[in-house]
Amino acid sequence: MKPSHTVVQKIALITGASRGLGRVLAGFLAKQGYALIVMARNETDLHAAAKEFAAAGVPVVSILGDVSVPRDRLRLLEAAKRYGRIDLLVNNASDLGDTPLPPLENASRDTFLRVFDVNTLAPLALVREALPLLTRARGLVVNITSDAAVGGYPGWGVYGASKAALELVSKTLAAELKDREVAVVSVDPGDMRTQMHQDAYLGQDISDRPLPDVTLPFWAWLLSQPPMKVSGMRYQAQAAVWEVAA
Amino acid sequence: MRRTELVFERPERVFAHEPPEVRGRARDDVRLLVTRPDGQHHARFEDLPRFLRAGDLLVVNESAAIPASLPAEGSLGPILLNLCTRFRSDLWIAEPRWSAGKPGPLPIEPGEELRIGSATARLLAPYPGIPRLWFALADRPFESMIAEYGGPIHYGYTDAWPMETYQTLFSRVPGSAEMPSAARPITPRIREQLEQAGVRIAPILLHTGVSSLEIETDTVEAQAMYPEPFAISADTADAVNRTHMNGDRVIAVGTTVVRALESAWTPEGLRPRTGFTRLFVNPDSGVRSVDGLLTGFHDPVTSHLALLTAFMGIDRVRDAYAEAIRAGYLWHEFGDSHLVIRQRDR
Repeated sequence: MKPSHTVVQKIALITGASRGLGRVLAGFLAKQGYALIVMARNETDLHAAAKEFAAAGVPVVSILGDVSVPRDRLRLLEAAKRYGRIDLLVNNASDLGDTPLPPLENASRDTFLRVFDVNTLAPLALVREALPLLTRARGLVVNITSDAAVGGYPGWGVYGASKAALELVSKTLAAELKDREVAVVSVDPGDMRTQMHQDAYLGQDISDRPLPDVTLPFWAWLLSQPPMKVSGMRYQAQAAVWEVAA
Repeated sequence: MRRTELVFERPERVFAHEPPEVRGRARDDVRLLVTRPDGQHHARFEDLPRFLRAGDLLVVNESAAIPASLPAEGSLGPILLNLCTRFRSDLWIAEPRWSAGKPGPLPIEPGEELRIGSATARLLAPYPGIPRLWFALADRPFESMIAEYGGPIHYGYTDAWPMETYQTLFSRVPGSAEMPSAARPITPRIREQLEQAGVRIAPILLHTGVSSLEIETDTVEAQAMYPEPFAISADTADAVNRTHMNGDRVIAVGTTVVRALESAWTPEGLRPRTGFTRLFVNPDSGVRSVDGLLTGFHDPVTSHLALLTAFMGIDRVRDAYAEAIRAGYLWHEFGDSHLVIRQRDR
């Protein structure tokens, strides 16, 4: 089935798309007809994920790389430039830092810098670099955050601080980019049964957490809203209510 | 709460199979069971104003039912695709069924293509936690299929009636897969009497999806819910808050109204809110926004019954339903009405 009413092919760029939440979201977008540009660091996982996305019959460009490496981001952007637009940018790739998660008093400066580089500065850099393409599409930027950004949970200080900073970056960008009609939201997907969650809870049973497809209703909703109605908001994908600006 | 606590038996004779107007009776010619802290009262619907007082606020749902049941053909032959929740014109949550009387889940795989007239819809993925519902993507707006092929969603116990049958006095904004039926017996005559009695009316909007879910998890609160669009205006939020402040009562007309109000409730009272809600009002969550509920009689083990239990407590639900069954009140959307008044949780 070709979506005959889709005049313009929608383009989504997703980082960390080879596993967990990123993979579920990218797969759902492919089924809705989005052309995908995806990046991840693990070659085997990325290859398998890209094959799965392409089975939906949409163009998929997969790039092996690290969002904190400018050269790798450049390759992402080159792929997007061929389409001339980005409708959706999902900054999903994240670094947990050292595991087991250390209390802040033991967290190293190097880890702090690395985690902020991947979780806060790289998403901002990607938005900056993609801005002309986002502007052309009046696109939406989704920055994936975490309840650790507001929780103060022991062990989650480094990761949580990087996500708290990302949330403020998102909110500020939403205000600064309003005139250009580029929308920016933060999304906390909630606890899920993913590799990252398992890494954070080494050796513990996390099978009571839902699989990441628990977030599909939220994505179906968010991506159906006029982007400027949601810009500046922070959403919890597993919450009971998702609100738009009145 | 355990799922089994919401099980009760009632004979088939309590099912309302048709609207009263089919037999030449008025819409308000139905019975009204009133459950108050002082016990059960048997009345007619036209007695409603007697049980309310000046200053009370009735909150009604302005959503109008749409013909959301589409005949479809796929790998299993002819089936029904009942639309549930609209994300955008070409993307809905929908329920594929064998027929009106025979539900799913159907043995289908993601990617299943359904033909609806000359249109095609694809079932992308099942809804997490509710296997009978799917995300459905179409090659054109579902609204065009609704206009051309749609009929009212109905189930085995009743036929499909003309769409007018499914609208209420307050239906204004099309979008509900099924009729928000609690206001159905409110006729212009009843509304006039209510207004003369000093009862005020304020609207909210909530587009309801397919029928009240049967709870499938052992624990009631664990049941997954699907989202529904809702909106509460500043005027209505203000009216509700003033009513509470004056010590008067807020009466929800229908479970949809309770869901909408609870979705916008804060410790400071109600605030204007627009979005989607899948809030499950259940015995754990309680009900804080309303003092009364005008509703119908609900099926065993459904989310609607869980809401009623949240509102009045399981013991009072059991008492009221035992009395309703004993006295022959009628169940379902064309049946009798139930007004529940309680002391509000603060």
